Amino acid sequence: MRQAGTYSAILSGGVSGRTGPHSLPLARIKKIMKRSGDDVKMISGEAPIVFSKACELFIEELTQRAWMMTLQGKRRTLHKEDVAAAVMATDIFDFLVEMVSDSNGTQMAPATKSNISVAER
Amino acid sequence: MDPMDIVGKSKDDVSLPKATMFKIIKEMLPPDVRVARDAQDLLVECCVEFINLISSESNEVCGREEKRTIAPEHVLKALEVLGFGDYIEEVYAAYEQHKLDTLDSPKVGKFGGIEMTEEEALAEQQRMFAEARARMNNGASVQRQSDSDRSLDG
Repeated sequence: MRQAGTYSAILSGGVSGRTGPHSLPLARIKKIMKRSGDDVKMISGEAPIVFSKACELFIEELTQRAWMMTLQGKRRTLHKEDVAAAVMATDIFDFLVEMVSDSNGTQMAPATKSNISVAER
Repeated sequence: MDPMDIVGKSKDDVSLPKATMFKIIKEMLPPDVRVARDAQDLLVECCVEFINLISSESNEVCGREEKRTIAPEHVLKALEVLGFGDYIEEVYAAYEQHKLDTLDSPKVGKFGGIEMTEEEALAEQQRMFAEARARMNNGASVQRQSDSDRSLDG
């Protein structure tokens, strides 16, 4: 499924197993955190650093899963529908169901855990 | 939050830099794969939503522990609670690495978390040695620890 060679290094690499430092900007992350709720406490200087890495991992997982959908469709371009399908197929991405279904303009019922079948085409 | 706001693009919305995000995305994929523009945008929005989700939970974890500041430990706990326990190991390793990188040391102090080139690191080391020598020569009472043990790894 995955190409060996170039990508095996990155995929099996440790914490810094990528070609360059692609850190997300901490100030921006902190802003988003502050706006995430009405009553957000103070944020330590180190929390955004943890988030930065977590976001990287999240995007990687979502991209990877979406890519699997692209492959299933025998295509080489990753489309929005692939991202949506990946969300539907993954329990822990339930919180994204509304977001991807709104983007697709499809009417979806509120997420029920594990009961969603992959109906996106 | 109004559901419409999640996908909205009002000027108050804070998002993540597309270029950086796109690099992360591209690195996960073979070089000849293309990512449609709408897929890119959606991935960025999902990431923002991820931050919202984890932040809310971290906030609650923090409150339950009766602390006033959201600390890394709260974020890690939130990740676990929300099903992202697989991330914890790598996230924690990155956090530890960052702590090492920013120990009270002029070597990396002003460079923050940015990697130095070897020349920069060497120059910085020379500077520190020169400072130490100057202090010794001036008979300063406070001596810094010798730098010889602190090799430049990473």
